[in-house]
Amino acid sequence: MNSSNLKTFLTSNVDMDEQIIREHIENLKKIQVKKGNFLLRQGDVCKHSFFVEEGLLKYYSIDEKGKQHILQFAPEGWFVVDRESAFFNQPSQYFIEALEDSVVTMIDVDMFASLSLHNQSFALFNNKLLHNHIRHLQNRINLLLSATAEERYLDFIRIYPDLLLRVPQTLVASYLGITPESLSRVRKDLATKKHQKQ
Amino acid sequence: MAIKNVVSVMAPPDPHFVGDGFRVHNFIPQGSRTGMYRMDPFIMLDYNSAHYFEPSATPRGVGVHPHRGFETVTIAYKGSVAHHDSSGGGGVIREGDVQWMTAASGVLHKEYHEEQFSKEGGWFQMVQLWVNLPAKDKMSAPKYQSITKDQIPRVPLPDGNGEVAVIAGSYMDSKGAADTFTPVHLYNTFLHKGGRADFSFPVSYNTALLVVEGSIVVNDAETVATDHFVLFGNAGEDFHITASEDAVVLIMSGEPIKENIVAHGPFVMNNQQEILQAFDDYNQGKFGYLEDQV
Repeated sequence: MNSSNLKTFLTSNVDMDEQIIREHIENLKKIQVKKGNFLLRQGDVCKHSFFVEEGLLKYYSIDEKGKQHILQFAPEGWFVVDRESAFFNQPSQYFIEALEDSVVTMIDVDMFASLSLHNQSFALFNNKLLHNHIRHLQNRINLLLSATAEERYLDFIRIYPDLLLRVPQTLVASYLGITPESLSRVRKDLATKKHQKQ
Repeated sequence: MAIKNVVSVMAPPDPHFVGDGFRVHNFIPQGSRTGMYRMDPFIMLDYNSAHYFEPSATPRGVGVHPHRGFETVTIAYKGSVAHHDSSGGGGVIREGDVQWMTAASGVLHKEYHEEQFSKEGGWFQMVQLWVNLPAKDKMSAPKYQSITKDQIPRVPLPDGNGEVAVIAGSYMDSKGAADTFTPVHLYNTFLHKGGRADFSFPVSYNTALLVVEGSIVVNDAETVATDHFVLFGNAGEDFHITASEDAVVLIMSGEPIKENIVAHGPFVMNNQQEILQAFDDYNQGKFGYLEDQV
């Protein structure tokens, strides 16, 4: 593995010396995760933020009845971390599992803090990432509380344009908080509407 | 006329499953490691070498998925496949049949082992070939050519040494069963042991063959075993094959389209913008709707 999407991601977004970025990135561990393997299990303490170089991860909980609830999908270029566990040192309530054979860079949770201390523009960028993440979560809470299945689906395809071809629809339904039957109905309705327009 | 030389003889790469019903060796583009341009207009070739599937109450296969921008050609050697698509079409591809599906602007379809075959189990052997479409035809209307075994013209070889089934293009003035958008020749050649067949294609055409059964010698020099793939060079026009034992050989040769290829999963377009558009159209339901259940 010679190219790093993480390096590209940082160099194209942060106005800082490429040398400093390279020094920080170089020592990070890049691992291959086979489909079905875990980066985090419920009860573990999360030690890293995971950046997806290749492949796809899912971040989810399992309720008492054994039902899976997906909080986030992480395809190429996404970060995933259990912040409660990593930054508050709590045993995790969640699982992070590979949905495809993946390559993941493991970022020590202290690295962003240390980079932020050394570099003002990185600190600003990291802040922006956090705000963006909170905005995303807020939008997700609002949609789960108030939106129709179709509105949630339309938001999903905006955020994840190629995931419908990569994950089974049962997982998409789990992310949207609707039944697979509802998702199927939404997709059928959309297709029918489009056909009528033509 | 100059001889068309063999550039490489490839053993079948390790197989992988497409869905749970197709155990395939990928010769184009992975096997040749030369990407989609080397065999343009043939941009993908998955070969399910003869594989025994145990009986199964639930048919194995691939669920609903879209295609846009090219044609899929399914050639059945053993076993049978049932397919359905979002325009309400469907059918069964049986031994000796060829399904030539022009996905063009987009279809949703699913492919499963045919019900009876699935229940009984049996030997399964297929080729799926993707033929690219030129930019001007990528967004044309989808269509099917369901070609049954008896609709494919067969040209007898001299001395009763076998025959050439002309799926597309032409051989010895016999026109193939399928219509194509750009010049493509596709034949199944059936040879008895010792039989010989001669072929001639323009220098610029990209040419290859796949030994589906038996073994052959190409140009009296290269021995090619079952399930091996031969890539020809782009100098010379003529080559011939001789059967070391009874053999079935798929021959393909086509005029390169020579346009930019941007492929992402089931979409093959000319640029990234068109790929993003394909994802969007698929997500928005513009490919139609098809139930996932068999």
